[in-house]
Amino acid sequence: MQLKPKPTSGAPTLRRMLATAATGLLASAHAGAQDEPPDVPTTNVDTGVLYYHENGRVQAIEPDLDVSYQVNEDSLFSFGIAADTLTGATPLGAVPSSLPQTFVRPYKVIPLGTPVTVTTASGGSVVTIIPPATGAKTQTLAATSTVPANTFPLDHSFTDLRIAGHMGWQQSLSSTLKLDGGVAYSKEHDYRSESAHLGLSKDFNAHNTTLNAGVNYESDLSFPLGGTPTPLTQMSGDWKGADASRHEIDAVFGITQVMSRRWLTTLSYSYAGDRGYQNDPYKIISVVDPVSGQPTTQLYENRPETRRKHSVFLDNKIHLARDVVAVSLRGYKDDWGIKSVTAELRYRFQIARDYYIEPHVRYYSQGAADFFHYYLVGAEPLPQYASADTRLAKFHAQTYGLKYGMPFNEGSEFSIRIEYYDQHGNGSPSYAVGQLRQQNLFPDLKAATMLLGYSYAF
Amino acid sequence: MRSICRAWSANRRSELILLLCGAAAACLGGCASVGAKPWEHDLLAERAMRVDSYPLQSAMDDHIYFSKEASTGGRSYAGGGCGCN
Repeated sequence: MQLKPKPTSGAPTLRRMLATAATGLLASAHAGAQDEPPDVPTTNVDTGVLYYHENGRVQAIEPDLDVSYQVNEDSLFSFGIAADTLTGATPLGAVPSSLPQTFVRPYKVIPLGTPVTVTTASGGSVVTIIPPATGAKTQTLAATSTVPANTFPLDHSFTDLRIAGHMGWQQSLSSTLKLDGGVAYSKEHDYRSESAHLGLSKDFNAHNTTLNAGVNYESDLSFPLGGTPTPLTQMSGDWKGADASRHEIDAVFGITQVMSRRWLTTLSYSYAGDRGYQNDPYKIISVVDPVSGQPTTQLYENRPETRRKHSVFLDNKIHLARDVVAVSLRGYKDDWGIKSVTAELRYRFQIARDYYIEPHVRYYSQGAADFFHYYLVGAEPLPQYASADTRLAKFHAQTYGLKYGMPFNEGSEFSIRIEYYDQHGNGSPSYAVGQLRQQNLFPDLKAATMLLGYSYAF
Repeated sequence: MRSICRAWSANRRSELILLLCGAAAACLGGCASVGAKPWEHDLLAERAMRVDSYPLQSAMDDHIYFSKEASTGGRSYAGGGCGCN
């Protein structure tokens, strides 16, 4: 006969209560004994490798490592590093056409007179020489790519490596007050981000209520390949302007409440104020003929230089007899006119003490930014702001996932998770003109991810 | 007419603020009766019941959604720390 551990019962038994209370008293007594080593893990190592694959577009591999170390009873030090390698194709922003289209971008600057030996650039583009200005000491090589007729224009030269790191410190100032702070840094071949945060949390009601508040300051620098384009100017192979910066201040206020022995709820509000360069320097928007719908010009996009974002997030975790269910809702609004809702549900089937299965469903729906246009019409006046980036369009998305986890010690666990992401927008707006009525202006985005996680506590 | 509207809107705003303050006070008052006794925190101590049980995996998810959708923030700070395309 095989003996199985008794499942967690519905009501707390006297034995469990006494055991928990006794453990707490013993732990307190133990903490007072300075000469004995602690019997709980002091170091947590959390690792993960994410593989992300979009249909016909980007794919990414991201290994991550986070380490936290309990320096003493009141202090926790943590750090982490991450690396992303991205390859594939990303939408240019231009509309498809019933005719082949040609797109040009700056590729490299070389001293004037240098023999040019390259003929192709990444993504299969053809390299051409831009005639230098009179008296110039350098010349620009441009990469020209051709998109076949009736094909959604993608930039196939997309490749990137991102390295990121963060470091933090958490300090208990009293038995109910905690201070935490940290810094983060990330670097790509055309982008750099630096940030610092400071937060405070305070427990009330015998640790049943926690209020927290935090601020984060982020400073980013964009230095795109080919320079920063002047907004709403024609796409060209010329080398563009100087680097551009962006600054963001975030504030988060939250309350976490123990509702009962089995129910934990969190409500938080976050605000972000963004100022500076918000454009995607590689994104363009087509100007089309008002009758035929054929693109006549491609312009670099332009977004407002400020953005104010508000989010409200509600999370509930409920411990059932053995399983745990987590339900969260988020509402988002910004002054670009975007509103969104996100709903997530995770259900953790605790099959046995040492393994569980967790299905996951997420629904997301957003409205379009005020300045989103699939394209601009040639006969109409140019708007102040315009972007054809479909991430600013109206769409909805679903995520379906399944996680298999194997906890094997206190704080240690191996897990594997697969997810499928499906994004749908309106590819045939009713106002489309000419040939655009036959085109799909918002192809669905489908992506699959696999995440391997391993955490170890010692 | 505009000044009447403005006064009405200011009154409505102060009523709304009072209502929200009342609701918050009621919630906080109610919070005193909810919760768990110290010896009932056994289930809440489990990893699955933490506010963010798997922060590394949450950060990876946020990074993906940040690069594909326009919304950020909620659980944590809104900044993405990348020029994701």
